[in-house]
Amino acid sequence: MHMRNLFHFPCVFILAIAVFGTLSAQNPVEISVFNESTSVPFSGISLKPLHPGVQIGTEIPWHETNHYRTFLSINLRYIFHKNLYRAIAINLELGYDYKMDFGATLKTGIGVGYLHSFNVKEKYRFEAGSYSKKADIGNSRFTPLISFGLGYRFNPDNFNSTELFAKQQYWLELPYSPGFIPLMSHANTMVGAKFSTE
Amino acid sequence: MVFILIAPVFIMTTCAVVEDEIVAIATYVCEIPPEAKNLDHPNHAKYQALLDEIVAQGVPGIMMTVYNQADADGPWVGSGGKADLKNRVDLKPCNITRVGSTVKMLTAVTLLQLVEEGKLTLDEKAAVYLSDQSTRDIENAKTATIRHLLQHSSGIYNYIQSARFQTASLNDLTKEWKPQELLDYARGRKANFSPGTDVDYSNTNYILLGEVIEKVEGKPFYVVFQERIFHPLNLSFTSFAAVDPVPDNIIRGYIDLYGKLEVTDATHFSGWDYYTADGGLISNPYDLQLFLRAVINREIISDLSFAEMTEWVSSSSNKDIFYGLGMFKMVTKFGDAYMHSGDAIGYYASMLYLPEHEIYISWAVNGNYGKIDEFTQSKKAIEFIIKKVLE
Repeated sequence: MHMRNLFHFPCVFILAIAVFGTLSAQNPVEISVFNESTSVPFSGISLKPLHPGVQIGTEIPWHETNHYRTFLSINLRYIFHKNLYRAIAINLELGYDYKMDFGATLKTGIGVGYLHSFNVKEKYRFEAGSYSKKADIGNSRFTPLISFGLGYRFNPDNFNSTELFAKQQYWLELPYSPGFIPLMSHANTMVGAKFSTE
Repeated sequence: MVFILIAPVFIMTTCAVVEDEIVAIATYVCEIPPEAKNLDHPNHAKYQALLDEIVAQGVPGIMMTVYNQADADGPWVGSGGKADLKNRVDLKPCNITRVGSTVKMLTAVTLLQLVEEGKLTLDEKAAVYLSDQSTRDIENAKTATIRHLLQHSSGIYNYIQSARFQTASLNDLTKEWKPQELLDYARGRKANFSPGTDVDYSNTNYILLGEVIEKVEGKPFYVVFQERIFHPLNLSFTSFAAVDPVPDNIIRGYIDLYGKLEVTDATHFSGWDYYTADGGLISNPYDLQLFLRAVINREIISDLSFAEMTEWVSSSSNKDIFYGLGMFKMVTKFGDAYMHSGDAIGYYASMLYLPEHEIYISWAVNGNYGKIDEFTQSKKAIEFIIKKVLE
């Protein structure tokens, strides 16, 4: 049985703010969908079971030449693991794109983020000698990440062209369970599109 | 624009908190065996105070059985805390729970019985009874003997220690793993040592031993358990997960995943030990006590088998633990304890015998990980329980 918990609507609100905020800016808008997996780094692509996520963000250009560019990306994401948690996260990523002549882009990035996760199941807290059901205020996490990917620009000559991309992103969640499991490793298999505002 | 419309819908639908299962209180109704005592046991107040103290530390629920072979009081059974936090159901001593790796002692007893019947020998290579698929790329699997596997002296890598397995398990918490899928995590991994040169706990050993039983007896190992152990000892609370992975009346299991004494229901998360002889036992402390007594008193194995079982080998890494065949000897402040413990996700159980005191103690809790383990399964916790029982 499911119960809609209105107290978690702030995450929707935050996302909406970000959507409109980024749309109104003069930078490209990136939207992505992805599957999260709890896995050791570089263990390959995992699409089962499905732990879906969505992400929206934008890029702030830093430096650009004919063949590469660097930029700072800011992303807001939401992840749903049906047995454990749902989380909102904000990431800052330093990106490096290498432009190839036929429209392809090699993409890498390194970044940090903040993740706030909530249990998907009911939580019982030990207080005054017994466990009782309590509202979940969530857990705060630091999330360093790296990513690798491939893109395809609709306009091969222009870095700011609308682009489709696929990325594999590896990230750590820490602290995870202090004194028990210090950190947890995750991967996101991601597809998305960048829309130029030019 | 489609994304902007769909994303909030996705988020809103998954923002829902999944409520734990509503279970009727009657589901957990059970009867304490007539030979067991609770309020009418002379030590009831002392033992119950111990359980209440453990629950007061942050354990969701605990069941315990204490039996002193030297007196005529019979086994005491007791419980404290909750069987089900959602439905606020008190735990009873006759409820059933997951007892994880305690099954390894049953695996060992079964194999020792087969040795007694001349169907195999302890010092022959286990690979004689194993498929090529099971030993493929597992270092030492082709050379280790049955004794090495029973004693954890094979050196074979423990699949549970694989970070790939641990993350895969967390990634798919309700997956029901088959033996070969688990063995995959031991393939290609370097053995810890050459067979017979040291001891180190490895669940992989007991997956292979389950297959040995099946090869010799021609039926699933858990059916052999039923025929040779459950039925003869009248273990009425005991079953194996492969038959019914999550019985309706099993108590709910809880994990303190983030170490904050904040627990969530993990009753359906133990699918990695439903089909292998390294875990998967469903039972309770009363039945564990009956089984351990039958072993110690040589009711289901011979004197020779018991001598083999208790031929202790010391570990290079832990001087307090000695390895037998499916049994350990822990050196405690109160003398030796012959024992085995077991974890599942959300559950823990332990059974021990104190030969110097002729006392059996078995307990099971429906919570683990995080902060809970230190109250129930650390050496300090075990010695605390022994101390309180002996007082």
